[in-house]
Amino acid sequence: MTATDWLDLTQSWIDGVMFGTTYALIGIGFTLIFGVMHKINLAYAAASIGAAYLSLLVIELVPTPLVYLFSAFAGGLLGALIYFVCFRFIPIKSPLATLMSTVGMLLVIEELMSHLTQGMPQNYPAMLTDIGLEIGDLYIRGDLMFVFALGAIAMVLLNLLLKRTRLGLATRAVAQQPVAAQLCGMGIDKTNASTFIIAGFLGGTAGAMVGAAIGVLSPLVAMPITVKGLVVTVIGGLGSIPGAIIAGLLVGGFENIFQYWRGVTERDIYVMLLLFVFLVFRPNGLFAPPGGRD
Amino acid sequence: MAFTIRHTATALTAATLALCGSAIAAEKTLKIYGFGAKSGVVGIFGQQSEAAMQAAANIINKNGGVTLGDGSKAQLAIEYLDDRCNAEEGINALRRIASLNDSVVAVGPTCSNVAEPAFGILQKKAGDSSDSGIQFPLYTDVAAKGGLASISEWSFRNVPNEANMYKSLFEWIKVARPELKTFWGGVEKDFAHSNFTYKVIEKNAAANNLQVLGASEWLLNDINFSNQVREMKRAKADVVAISAHPFTTCGVLKEMARQNVRPKMIIGLTSSSSMETLTGCGAQAQGLTIPTAFAPVTDAAKEAAAAIQKINPKYNMDLHNAAAYENIFTLKALIEKQKIMGRPDTLTEDREKMRQGLAAMQQTEGLLGKVGRTNDREAVKPFLFVQAKGNDWAVLHTPAQ
Repeated sequence: MTATDWLDLTQSWIDGVMFGTTYALIGIGFTLIFGVMHKINLAYAAASIGAAYLSLLVIELVPTPLVYLFSAFAGGLLGALIYFVCFRFIPIKSPLATLMSTVGMLLVIEELMSHLTQGMPQNYPAMLTDIGLEIGDLYIRGDLMFVFALGAIAMVLLNLLLKRTRLGLATRAVAQQPVAAQLCGMGIDKTNASTFIIAGFLGGTAGAMVGAAIGVLSPLVAMPITVKGLVVTVIGGLGSIPGAIIAGLLVGGFENIFQYWRGVTERDIYVMLLLFVFLVFRPNGLFAPPGGRD
Repeated sequence: MAFTIRHTATALTAATLALCGSAIAAEKTLKIYGFGAKSGVVGIFGQQSEAAMQAAANIINKNGGVTLGDGSKAQLAIEYLDDRCNAEEGINALRRIASLNDSVVAVGPTCSNVAEPAFGILQKKAGDSSDSGIQFPLYTDVAAKGGLASISEWSFRNVPNEANMYKSLFEWIKVARPELKTFWGGVEKDFAHSNFTYKVIEKNAAANNLQVLGASEWLLNDINFSNQVREMKRAKADVVAISAHPFTTCGVLKEMARQNVRPKMIIGLTSSSSMETLTGCGAQAQGLTIPTAFAPVTDAAKEAAAAIQKINPKYNMDLHNAAAYENIFTLKALIEKQKIMGRPDTLTEDREKMRQGLAAMQQTEGLLGKVGRTNDREAVKPFLFVQAKGNDWAVLHTPAQ
């Protein structure tokens, strides 16, 4: 390999890892809900993009940071809606029922996005697009650094919420020992709803960051982000937030490397092979969370 | 007295029957079906095609409707089925239309990945009794991948010939912009239309003294274009051609802006000369040059553009639905010329007559001028080059044709 090839490889890795922050945020949402309810919310990524679409309502009215904040709040609302429609009234012992209801919700959200915008790509604002960091011949995009930083802040805040607040305590208690948590007076439904709202808030942030990273929103984005989010969740370890973070960055990086190495038509084959390798050799993921006592 | 009552009753009965007869004649309708993507991410194409067909039908109906083979008049009715740009659903829609006893012809589909298999289930050679394919004439408005109409003698298209358009564009570039020497391509690999058209674009670039330095590839659903644009940046080509639809075209243009890739000329895919591109990335698309078969530069084109706005003010006329609009007028003329009866008992005969009429066409009326026909059932449409300027597509050059 020539020096240029190494440069390209390194640049591909950097770009991929930076973009992988968005995958990490989506993965955290999937894994947070799984950790608490032991169920997958397949509509999560679509709701995240839906939240970004909702933030377009205020795009002409407020500065860009507030657009992202609006997206986060919209994500929380959508999270609550998904909980009530797809989980709250479905028996907890029917995992397939909740899974299929979230599939239905994913399709509904996708169709709504298509119908309301007539499928037209929508311009989405990004920040720090004019600046970047140059390290020799390597270049790190300013807007991706912003996405990375905002993602990191979101993850830190989530960690603080889970570790330092009563809500976080309740969430962890319900995740580990739902029966015992109930006996201690913690409301399961209230805690689950709160988890969905928190995950939705994170998802709305992720949706905004995806829109900012690409520069355009389209209903086409929902499915690939869903798939990547699930891959990240599995590789990171179902229920592990640190795992989702690391896995998100790794999947982003490797995706770009595979694309550079084998081209776009084979890229996804290798990403799926990476998932397969983990499933065979490390099925619990990078950081399998400890099992509960129940 | 009895004589008067009997005659009055007879007269009243006769009058009532005459009134009913004339009422029935006034309400006669002939349906033209359409099918295409009315929902999903390319739903706007089908929605606008349906609106254009309806706009054309409204004008025809306002002027008395269409004359059937028995001399009676009928109003045109449009019914449009949704195939979601999905091949299986497109085939189902076609089968459904062909099974109805009031369908003599259909317009569609939107997507080339639907058109190819849909044409494939039609009878290949008309009159071949050993071929059990569907015997139903299709007159396509949007699906533009090259050479599809040759699949069946029942398939006809009114889509621009992209090979001619890009040939003309690059010949013009060679003369008008002689300083441009190098070329880099960008292609949406998993979409039939963009993938096929890129080969046409690259071939014509090379044939007109542009050195083809390479091409970047991506998929329709891709969201990260950093690698591809970095290749583009390194090539430093004078001309960059992006053979992709609006979402990824916008994604690539935005990435080019981020990486400060500024070629001297950017060329786009015909399908991207639409409001979608300007809505998604108007600022980055400024100067994007695309050959197109529609612009509101003639009276007929302006009338068509105004007519669709009456159906829905959010809709625009572009090269895709302009063809649907033209198709309805062409079909109206053929229905009258071929003396289509429009009855269930004449269905097979009517469909064959429509096919023969479509096959015999040498020329049709287009919004930009006369549209020629080829032996393989394709169209030779007038075209021009447009460039993204502000919030619109401005005419850059009208080549001699």
